[in-house]
Amino acid sequence: MTTDGDGLRLSDIAACFEGIIPAEIATASADGVPNVTHLSRVHLLDDERVVLSNQFFSKTVRNLAENPYGCVVVIDPLTYDSYRLLVQYERTERRGPLFDRMRRDVDAIAALTGMEGVFKLRSADIYRVLDLERVRSAADVSADDAQGS
Amino acid sequence: MIAAEVVAQLESPSSLLVGSVGSDGVPDATRGWGVQVLGPDRLRVLLSDNADRTLANLADGGRIALTTTHFQTLVSWQLKGRAIAIGPVTAADRIRFDAFCAGCVQILHQTDGTPEEIIWRLAPPGIVACEMVVEQVFDQTPGPEAGARIAPVGAR
Repeated sequence: MTTDGDGLRLSDIAACFEGIIPAEIATASADGVPNVTHLSRVHLLDDERVVLSNQFFSKTVRNLAENPYGCVVVIDPLTYDSYRLLVQYERTERRGPLFDRMRRDVDAIAALTGMEGVFKLRSADIYRVLDLERVRSAADVSADDAQGS
Repeated sequence: MIAAEVVAQLESPSSLLVGSVGSDGVPDATRGWGVQVLGPDRLRVLLSDNADRTLANLADGGRIALTTTHFQTLVSWQLKGRAIAIGPVTAADRIRFDAFCAGCVQILHQTDGTPEEIIWRLAPPGIVACEMVVEQVFDQTPGPEAGARIAPVGAR
């Protein structure tokens, strides 16, 4: 995995994976049509991989079957810093400890958002993170300016 | 023709997501920072001026996906089409951007109590304007019907 100049690791941004602020994912079909949607939660598997809960984002799944690359943006709920992850689909799990843990999380989010019966885990999709970078904001530019002055 | 309810949501504070794809097939995701509906199939979308990959993907008429999600109801629409121009913002764009950001910050603060100064940290360093021709509109509201096409938009 490559990172920006800060040498960021996924474990450094663990707060982004707590499911407090929805993430976003962009994918593209084989013929180059993008699709962008929210994700209720991105799970951290290890320092190289994340797991996405596949509930009903059918277009996203179809796209990833044709083109395994995706771009995920997550937000730190404490600082509101954003991070961009370039990911590549690796495999899907439909049973086992990881799937069971994610199903409990999806059920909890559904209960919190009044979406019981709507949010339902279909599979746990595992992605390798190819690149990680922090998205610079106006606050970063102001901080840089202050340091430079 | 974009339905009136979609127009209303696009021009209000909402969660705006933007997807694009490079010539190498690699997609990019960023946020939108305000929308003006210019006509039956035309939008002016404000983007961060440091969303380098997105801007490169859209520079030569690239395909674009724009999703708007209501912060409280989660009602979502995805509009797909092509970028037709990217350029500097006008004074009216800046007013729209400021109103969009202030509205989003207020809603998010009221929703979960996050201090407003923290939410403002999401704001981009600067903005540019992307004009987009909308070709299709999809219902993206969470649920089994997510992704259903509502309308082709061929009013040109």
